[in-house]
Amino acid sequence: MFLHGLPLGTLAAVGAAAAGAIALLYVLELRRRSALVPFARIWERVLATRDATRLFSRLRRLLSLLVQLALLALLVVALGDPRSQPKGAPSEGRHLVVLVDASASMQAIDVATPAAPARTRLDDARDAVRALARGLGPDDAAMVVQMDATVTPLTPFTAEVAELERATASVRATDARADLPRALRFALDALRGLSSPEVVVVSDGALGEPRDAFGEVHLGEVRASFVPVGARGRNVAITAFSARRYPLHPDRHEVLVELTSRSERAEDVELELVGDGQIIDVARLRLEPGATLPRVYADLSGARRTLEARLSLAGGERDDLPADDRAYARLPEPRRVRVLAVGGPNTYLEAALLLGSWIDVTYLDPKQWPPAAGARFDVTVFDGVTPDGPVPSPAALYLDPRGPSAPVGVDEAELRKVGFDTLDRKSPLLRWTSLDDVFVGRAHRLVPRAGDHVVGASDQGALLVEGRREGLRFVALGFDPRASDLVLRTAWPVFVLDVLRELSADDASYLASFRTGEVWSVPLPAGAGADVTSARLRAASGAERPVPVRDGRAVLLGVDAGFFSIVAGDAEAPFAANLADPDESAIAPRRELVVDGKPCAALAPPKRAPRATPWVWLLVAALVLSTLEWATYHRRVTV
Amino acid sequence: MSLLDRILGRRAAPAPAGASDDLFDPALQRKLETLALVSRRVFAGRMRAERRTKKSGSGIEFADHRAYVPGDDIRALDWGVYQRFGRLLVRLYEEEEDLGIYLVVDASASMGFGDGQKLRHARRLAAALAYIGLANLDRVTVVAVGDRVVRTMPTTRGKGRIFRVLHFLQGLEPSGATDLGEAMKSFVAQHPRRGLVVLLSDLFDPAGFERGINALRYAKFEPYVLHVTDARDGRPELRGDVRLIDCETGEARDVTATSALLDRYHAAYHAYVDDVRRFCVEHQVPHFVADVSVPFDDIVLRVLRQSGFVS
Repeated sequence: MFLHGLPLGTLAAVGAAAAGAIALLYVLELRRRSALVPFARIWERVLATRDATRLFSRLRRLLSLLVQLALLALLVVALGDPRSQPKGAPSEGRHLVVLVDASASMQAIDVATPAAPARTRLDDARDAVRALARGLGPDDAAMVVQMDATVTPLTPFTAEVAELERATASVRATDARADLPRALRFALDALRGLSSPEVVVVSDGALGEPRDAFGEVHLGEVRASFVPVGARGRNVAITAFSARRYPLHPDRHEVLVELTSRSERAEDVELELVGDGQIIDVARLRLEPGATLPRVYADLSGARRTLEARLSLAGGERDDLPADDRAYARLPEPRRVRVLAVGGPNTYLEAALLLGSWIDVTYLDPKQWPPAAGARFDVTVFDGVTPDGPVPSPAALYLDPRGPSAPVGVDEAELRKVGFDTLDRKSPLLRWTSLDDVFVGRAHRLVPRAGDHVVGASDQGALLVEGRREGLRFVALGFDPRASDLVLRTAWPVFVLDVLRELSADDASYLASFRTGEVWSVPLPAGAGADVTSARLRAASGAERPVPVRDGRAVLLGVDAGFFSIVAGDAEAPFAANLADPDESAIAPRRELVVDGKPCAALAPPKRAPRATPWVWLLVAALVLSTLEWATYHRRVTV
Repeated sequence: MSLLDRILGRRAAPAPAGASDDLFDPALQRKLETLALVSRRVFAGRMRAERRTKKSGSGIEFADHRAYVPGDDIRALDWGVYQRFGRLLVRLYEEEEDLGIYLVVDASASMGFGDGQKLRHARRLAAALAYIGLANLDRVTVVAVGDRVVRTMPTTRGKGRIFRVLHFLQGLEPSGATDLGEAMKSFVAQHPRRGLVVLLSDLFDPAGFERGINALRYAKFEPYVLHVTDARDGRPELRGDVRLIDCETGEARDVTATSALLDRYHAAYHAYVDDVRRFCVEHQVPHFVADVSVPFDDIVLRVLRQSGFVS
C-alpha cells in the first residue's frame, strides 16, 4: 500500500488531533434535550427498573464512540489516497489525447432538432467526449485538447470524469480552421513514453490533410480513433469581402464580395450590404452547386466606417453554417485636411488641390507671411518660396525650395534637362503615379542630410526628398513643376494628393481585413507613442484583452471574425477580420479520417469497470457507516 | 408512524381539534341545543322533583312523622295520630327541589399540556352539561380548580344564562399545579348546599387523585368523575437521551427513551387510568373516560344514558 495523497506524518497528526477532539466530546457530559411531560409520577413507576439497563446504555455510548473513530480512520486513510502502486509508477491503462475540433465548421447547426434548434456539431462533440470520459477504464487517463487554429490543452492526463467534463464544457468554437497537423504533433509529444497511447479526434472531418511544413505526421505506435459528428452540409458562404475608397474620391468606395456555394443543389440567396448599420444594397442571386460568384459594388457612398455583408437563403430558410454568412470590412475614416498654400498664383497647383474634395485650402501671399498667430494647418505647401519663421503645420511640401530656410540643402547650380533616373516605387508618395519619363527643364540638386530619404533622383542628384526637421515632416521637390511636363500629366494631381495624404497621415487605401486562424500584425494607431510595448484588442462587444506589440504592430493570433480595434492609450486603430475560408465552408461531414496513410479506427466502446482508487471506496464506506449510525442512533430507530 | 417517517423525522399530525375553540361558535351551540332536547326526551316527565328532601314542605308525597316543636306549621299536624295516640306529630312530605349542579373544571397546567386539547375538551363538556342543566331549570355552578379553587362562577339558573357560563369557561387558562384534595376541601367549604359535582380533570394529581374525590364524598356531595384523557399522553414523542420535566412541578428526571421504555410507560399510563376507574367503581362514584379523540357530544349522550344526574 502506497500513499499518493497526504504523507503519513501529516495523516497521523490529523488523525490524532481529530480523534482527541472526538474523545473529548464524548468525555464531556451528554447534554440532554429537555422534554416536558404532563405527569412525572407515571414515569416514576417506569423508571424504577431503569438502573438495571444503565450498563447497557454506557456500552451503547461506547459503541457510538467507536463508530465515530472508525469513521475518522476511514477519512484519514482516504486523505492519504492509498494505492497498490508507488507514486509515480507508470500506469498500465490507456492514455488518450482527445482532440476536440473547435473550428468554424463545428458551429454548423445541421444536428439541430426541434427541441434544440440551436444545437451545433460542437454540442455533439461535447456529448461524445463526455461519454468517452465516463467510459474510461480504471487505469485509463485522458487529456482534453481544444483544436482550432492553435492547440490548447484543457486538462492534464487525468481519470477524473468531473474534470474532463468541465474541460469539455469549456471548449468554445472559433471562427478559424483547425490545424490538425499541429494538434497531432502535440498529441504525439504528450503521449511519448506512455502506455497504450491513443489519439481521439472528435470532429466533422473538415480538417484538411494532416501535413504541414515538416511533412506528413507519422503516428508510429499511437492508435488513432475518429469520432465523426455532423449530419449534412448545406452551406453557402461569403469567401471574400473587401472594400476600399477611391483615391481621388475618398468619400466613395467600392466593394468586392465573393460568394461560394457548398450545397449539392442550386441555392437562391439574398445578399445584403450594410454600411454603418444601414442596409445600402440587397441583391438576390442564384448559386449553382459548388459555384463561386464574385460581385463588385462600384461607386458606393453609403458608408463611412464599417461595411458588412450578410448572406441568407432566400425564402426564409437557413443554411447549416451561420458563421460564414457574414463578412466584415473597415473603411479608413476620411477627414478633412487643412492646407496652407504659400506662393504666387499657380493654376496647376490650384487645380490639383481642387481635386481633393477632402482638402480645405487657404492661400497666402508670400508678402503676408507669416500667417496670423494661432492659425493651424495640417500641411503647408511652399510654392517657389522658402520664407523664414516657424511653419504653422506639422508637415510641409516644398516646391523648388531655395535659401537657408529650406529644410534640405539646395545646390545653387542649375541642372538642365534632367529626369528621374531612380525612384523608390514603394514610397507612398508615388502611389498610382509614374514619374519615370517626366522631363524637367530646370532643377536644382537637393542635398539630403543623414536620415533623409531620397524618393527620386536624376543621375546628377536628388530631386525628391522626404525627411524630418525638429518635428517638421517635409517633402521637397527640387524643381518648379511648371518647369517640367509633370504638371501636364495625370500623375501631377495624384502626386500632390499622395503627398498631402501622406503628410497629413490620411490614408485612402483600403484596410485589408484580417483572416481568422492567422497571426494578425496590426499597425498601432497613429497617435500611439513609439515606445508602446503592449496594446489592447477591443472586440465589437466591448470586451478587451491585452496583446503584445512588436515593431510598432500589435501581434496576435486571431480566431474570431468581426470588427475589432487595437487600442493604445487614447488612440484606436479599427480593423475587421473574416473567416473567408472556402475549405472551412465545405462542411459536408466526413465519416472517415485518414492519418499517416491509414484510416482512423472507430472509438473503442466504453469499459465499465470499477476505478482502482481506494479512497473513493473508503469515502463510500465512511458514508455508509455514517448513514447507518445516523439512522440507528441519531434518528433513534433502534434506541 | 412508519419506519421511514421515523427515519426522516416526520412527526405525526396532531389529532384533529374538532370544532373551533370558540365556545360561542354557532355550530357548538346548535349541538348544545340538540343535547338539551335529547335530555328532555330521555327524561320526559321528570323535569323537576327528581331530587327530594325530607322536609315539611309543599310536597304531596308523605314521607315521615316527627314530633311537633313550637314554630311548626300547625297545618302539618297529623290530627288522626293525635286522636289515636294523643301525640302531636307533624307530617313530613318529600319536598321537590331543583337540583344543584357543580361543574368543577381542572385548569391546571397539565390540562393545557401539548396543544391544550384536554382543557378544550373539558370546557366543551362543561358547557354541554351546564346547558342541559340550565335548560332543565337546575342551578348550575362552575368552578375552576388547580391546587386550590381558582375561579368560581356564581350559581345561575335558566337557559338564558348559558352565555355567562360560556364566557366563564372561555376565560379559563391552564396554569399551576394540581392538588385536588386541597381544592375540593375549599370547594366544600365554599358551597354548603349539596348537589351533584361533576369533576372534569385528567386527575394528574401528585398527591393522589383519591383525596379530591373522597373530599366530595365525605361532604355528602354526589361526585361524578369525567376523566379527561389524551392518548398522546400515553405515547410521548421521545427518543434518546432526554431530561423529563414535569410541566406542573418542574421536577426533572434523566432518561434514555428507548422503545422498550416507551412501551413500559404506555402500560403504566393505562394502568393509571385503570386505577382511577377501579377506585371509582369501588366507591360507587360514576366514572366516565372522556378521551379528547371522542366528540364531546357523544360523551355527553353516553353520560346522560348511563346516569340520571341531570333532571
